[in-house]
Amino acid sequence: MENMLSLAGIGPVVLGVFIILIFFSVVSWAIIIFKLIQIHKANSESVRFMDFFWKTKRFDTIAAQADRFSSSPLVMLFNEGYSELKQLMDAEGKQDQAGVSTDLGGVANVSRAMRRATNQEVNRLEKYTTFLATTGSASPFIGLFGTVWGIMVAFEGIGRTGSASLAVVAPGISEALRATAIGLIAAIPAVMAYNHFQHKIRVLVKEMDSFSTEFLNIVQRNIAGK
Amino acid sequence: MQTLQRRSDAWLGITLLLSAMVHMAAFLGITWLQGLSPDPGQLQTTYYVDVVNLPVASPQAGSPTPAPDNTDQPQIASAPQAGPMMTPAPTAASDGKGPKSDSQTFQERMAKLEGKAAEQRQSAALESLRQKVSGGRPGMPGASGSQTGSDYTAYLHSRLKDAFRDTIQYQSKTPFVVVRLTIDRDGRVMRTRFEQSNNDKVFEKSVQRAIELAEQRIVPPPGRTTYEGTFVFKPQGVLQR
Repeated sequence: MENMLSLAGIGPVVLGVFIILIFFSVVSWAIIIFKLIQIHKANSESVRFMDFFWKTKRFDTIAAQADRFSSSPLVMLFNEGYSELKQLMDAEGKQDQAGVSTDLGGVANVSRAMRRATNQEVNRLEKYTTFLATTGSASPFIGLFGTVWGIMVAFEGIGRTGSASLAVVAPGISEALRATAIGLIAAIPAVMAYNHFQHKIRVLVKEMDSFSTEFLNIVQRNIAGK
Repeated sequence: MQTLQRRSDAWLGITLLLSAMVHMAAFLGITWLQGLSPDPGQLQTTYYVDVVNLPVASPQAGSPTPAPDNTDQPQIASAPQAGPMMTPAPTAASDGKGPKSDSQTFQERMAKLEGKAAEQRQSAALESLRQKVSGGRPGMPGASGSQTGSDYTAYLHSRLKDAFRDTIQYQSKTPFVVVRLTIDRDGRVMRTRFEQSNNDKVFEKSVQRAIELAEQRIVPPPGRTTYEGTFVFKPQGVLQR
């Protein structure tokens, strides 16, 4: 407890730097854990959904069961595409009665809807990762600022006392260097996690693109077969 | 989609709480580990009181050592220890700047006083040694029953101090080592025992090297007897005990 209270003796600027860095570390670790869970669930449920999608022949059956894979971004794409397709089919039924065909335009509508859904899913997956990037790039500099400030104060103390012995200089510099250490402790996991999540998100985006293409192919084949 | 997104973000609050708890646990763990190391400030306090209250010996005033029947001096030195120890400013404010309540100033003054005390003790020991070597003069401190041992202690102290100046290294804030040395009749270090230490391994190694270095220069004890003495090694220098 005495060591904890000794933090109060390090000066307001360095103490402020410590608080900022600890805040960065706490929030970035929260985001890391959150994103690990989110991306793991998205991956595993996407795999299960794709199995289910290829085994089930009917879109309406898939749509009825889609809630089971709610964390998968592919489900969102499917829901958007399917709802657009349903609207298209309803409109086509009315236009057939009027004698007008809109086959190609309908597929383009579904494609746009799925592209929009892809963008929304990418935004959802990338949410908060910018904080990790900020922590990774800014924390070492904030820590360095605290160190520079602490060393400045230590040298001022040397000037006041007129004593430059190691016993006088070393404790102040040691306290100041802690700021850099905490900055690095906050930054290193944030950078590693950011790179990992970016890779995972890129893989998921490719899966979404592949799924969109497959879905549109199926839709186009069905429309062409009519 | 909005419903799903809100449900996912709810996890963030839980992870934030979890992260804060883990950080707090890590902080407490580090604090606990630091608390296991011994408090290095105890010797400083004792030192400070001695320095402030002991009358500084003046070369013009004669002997710094009192007559054998005069026992008042140690009482004067030790009396303020029981008194208000946290009010050094009026006594120590000899530089004319006046008392400061700032704890940093207090620490700095303590460091200065420590350095001054070490120098005074060393110079007093050296002066005493020189006087005794030259046969003594009227009015100077007389020899006690342990004169031979005292001379050799001062000599050894001087050798250790010189050697320690070349080897000193440390990594903790206020390291100290209390060493008991046993010198055999041939002037070799028979035994080195570290009686107290603040567990600064770098400092302990530098003390060990200083003893090894000093061993090369020391002469056998007078009368070819075995000698035992205790020395306190600190960054400010070597003290006799």
